[in-house]
Amino acid sequence: MPPKAPTLCAICKTNRALILRPKDHSKLCKPCFITVFETEIHHTITSNSLFHRGEKIAIGASGGKDSTVLASVLKTLNERYDYGLELVLLSIDEGIKGYRDDSLETVKRNAKQYDMPLTILGYEELYGWTMDQVVEQVGKKGNCTYCGVFRRQALDRGAARLGVRHVVTGHNADDVAETVLMNLLRGDLPRLSRSTSIVTSTPAAASGDLKSHTNIKRSKPLKYAYEKEIVLYAHHKNLDYFSTECIYSPEAFRGSARALIKNLERVRPSAILDVVRSGEDMAKLVPGNDDDRSCGGACSSNVPAAEEEEGGCGSANGRTAGGEMAHMERHLAQNEAAAENELEVEITIPKPKKAGNKKPKANGMAPQKPNKQQVLGQCKICGYISSQEVCKACVLLEGLNKSQPKNRIEVVYDEKENQVLDGATNGMAKAALGPG
Amino acid sequence: MAVKDNNDIADQPCRRCKNNPSVLVVRTEPLCRECFVRYVNTKIIKRMESFRVRHAAPGQQRKILLPLSFGVSSLVLLHVLDFQLKTQSEKSGRTGFSLCVVYIDASTVDSSAPDAAMLQHVQERYPHDYATVPLQTLFELLPLDDPLLISLCAPDLPSTATSSDRISSLLSSLTSSTARADVLPMLRTRLLVEEAKQRGCEGILWGDSTTKLAEKTLSETAKGRGYSLPWHIADGESPLGIPFHYPNRDVLKKELVAYIDLADPPLSSLVHGPSAASTTTSMSSKTTTIDELMKNYFESVEENFPSIVANVVRTAGKLQVKETRRTAAQCNLCNMPVTDGRFGIHGWGGDQEDGLQSAGPSSGLCYGCSRTIPNGLR
Ligand SMILES: [Zn+2]
Ligand SMILES: [Zn+2]
Ligand SMILES: [Zn+2]
Ligand SMILES: [Zn+2]
Repeated sequence: MPPKAPTLCAICKTNRALILRPKDHSKLCKPCFITVFETEIHHTITSNSLFHRGEKIAIGASGGKDSTVLASVLKTLNERYDYGLELVLLSIDEGIKGYRDDSLETVKRNAKQYDMPLTILGYEELYGWTMDQVVEQVGKKGNCTYCGVFRRQALDRGAARLGVRHVVTGHNADDVAETVLMNLLRGDLPRLSRSTSIVTSTPAAASGDLKSHTNIKRSKPLKYAYEKEIVLYAHHKNLDYFSTECIYSPEAFRGSARALIKNLERVRPSAILDVVRSGEDMAKLVPGNDDDRSCGGACSSNVPAAEEEEGGCGSANGRTAGGEMAHMERHLAQNEAAAENELEVEITIPKPKKAGNKKPKANGMAPQKPNKQQVLGQCKICGYISSQEVCKACVLLEGLNKSQPKNRIEVVYDEKENQVLDGATNGMAKAALGPG
Repeated sequence: MAVKDNNDIADQPCRRCKNNPSVLVVRTEPLCRECFVRYVNTKIIKRMESFRVRHAAPGQQRKILLPLSFGVSSLVLLHVLDFQLKTQSEKSGRTGFSLCVVYIDASTVDSSAPDAAMLQHVQERYPHDYATVPLQTLFELLPLDDPLLISLCAPDLPSTATSSDRISSLLSSLTSSTARADVLPMLRTRLLVEEAKQRGCEGILWGDSTTKLAEKTLSETAKGRGYSLPWHIADGESPLGIPFHYPNRDVLKKELVAYIDLADPPLSSLVHGPSAASTTTSMSSKTTTIDELMKNYFESVEENFPSIVANVVRTAGKLQVKETRRTAAQCNLCNMPVTDGRFGIHGWGGDQEDGLQSAGPSSGLCYGCSRTIPNGLR
């Protein structure tokens, strides 16, 4: 057999092609793949004007492949294109014994490798409870609710403490596509719309208080990057990352959507990007989204950024796999039966109604009024952006503190309650007073 | 699934008539054969509200086109509407509408297409107007300046090429089975619309079940046509200038399949292909197209979570086409209205190649169609 001529790289046409690019199956050499991957993220950053010169950016770092690649690429691009950014790493320690040990070690090494300051904040500091303490208190069942709710706010709270107004996360194209399909399956258009948006800043509800953690901008520079390419990039750049697996299995809708995305990618490699595109277009068709805005409609959604569902156990709600679907099925079937019988029974998704709540001010009472200030209020306890009067974290904290008499005596929103929570927020405010 | 025969159901009487033994469970209700048939009939006929006798002007027959594919869905629809028409004329001596049943024969490009001779059996059982139209007729029916026609005239084909040559050359130019599975139904729809117009029909009655509409929702999303979702599942005016109706929209696929055997007499002898039971999900490991993938997915979800399937359709139905979008330019292939000139795969956030406009607006293809036909038509 005559020696076959090696396939040449489709870009430089010089080197031998060694990489089959997952996104479009083009054949590239290693240096060209690295360059094209970085250039595409640069393109995403510039075409969406994600950053401005002098901005301080916190990279949500878990030690996993996505955030490690994000840190590495941002460092490279910041130097190559002179973005003028101040990049810092921010890690959250949930306080699960042993769980973060290896990943936090990885982040510490990354901090040295990339010469970026690193802050690790524990749930203990942010909420007064570690996850282990939560589990001890509420048992294994149901702790996912806490994990998810706490985690969603942790980066914002942490960033506020560092005086950083902008957090970037490693969400990639696979994550976004998965969330689009998941929210179609769950029938949640506002969240679908929100998840497709590259920037999900929560508008400051009332004051322009710079120390408040209600006005943290979040963005996803890897939004259009394929997970497989992120892995390839990490591999070829010899990046030091830790293969984290969420210790909780994803809930049924996300698991279902994830499996679909993997199968779709197998059938048509562009499908991940195509789902993202569909999601962006659908966001403009969601009732109430004003598509004349520059953001393309996605950011006028009524879901606060921080209430956005994230991967892993973030949305598991403490139910076992399949339980989530069965629960929704029962609920929908009841609605259908009621509609069928033309009963005036309206069964809507049960909202956690709190006994002590005063009459909610227009919140949910006049659903058709697109008044964002009313829908996106602030938590009356911690000031966090929330669609409810008290944010989910505070509701959960209240429950925890209530059930632990040695720590907490009062459950009403009195001075003491506020002190504990202010302990976190004021602490952040103080920390944030440093150089801006 | 068809008829359930597990013991705990067989012993239970029908939940509705409280008399006959139940033969299957429909959304947690054990039903007997009669009550099940009535359940499906009612769901379908309810959707035909606007075609009741009292809405028809005397002496003026409203015609609607019913595409027949010899699949489960279109056969059940024909069976139920035939029943509805009989009931109408028994009660009032006239009917609210009449049916034009059209079978599109795609045998020139699809070897698994049903034999046109099958139509005879259907015709004997349900006396209506029938027609068999070969798929390639599309090339003769379209106006000469139709963008699809212009685009489809491959330059390397001699001017003497027949319409069969043209359609074969188009389909063989599609490299993936996903693309073929995507384009074939679009051509079929386009031809049915032309037939409906020519025959003076005021609308088309599609057989899509709840399950099929959910499949379409996710597969159009996966193919990059999320922008057009409202048009794919809504009853009423379509971008093709004729109203579309989906009378089976409240019935699950598995219920239609069960109906085939439970109807009196059964419809099984009229069904073509791997329709009846079991074979549907067995090939899931070797799925080759996006449509098949979604079909298998929803047929499994439908088993235990029928309301979730229905909720997907309801959710997609909440997407709103803005008024200004109705006048938007249409895609040359799928005919969906594309707003803001967002044709082609370039010029959006996920496109990293600035200045590459090769398959841009000039192709006249929407994002999704540009994926199916990467080099543009011709
Ligand atoms: Zn190269
Ligand atoms: Zn709060
Ligand atoms: Zn009965
Ligand atoms: Zn199209």
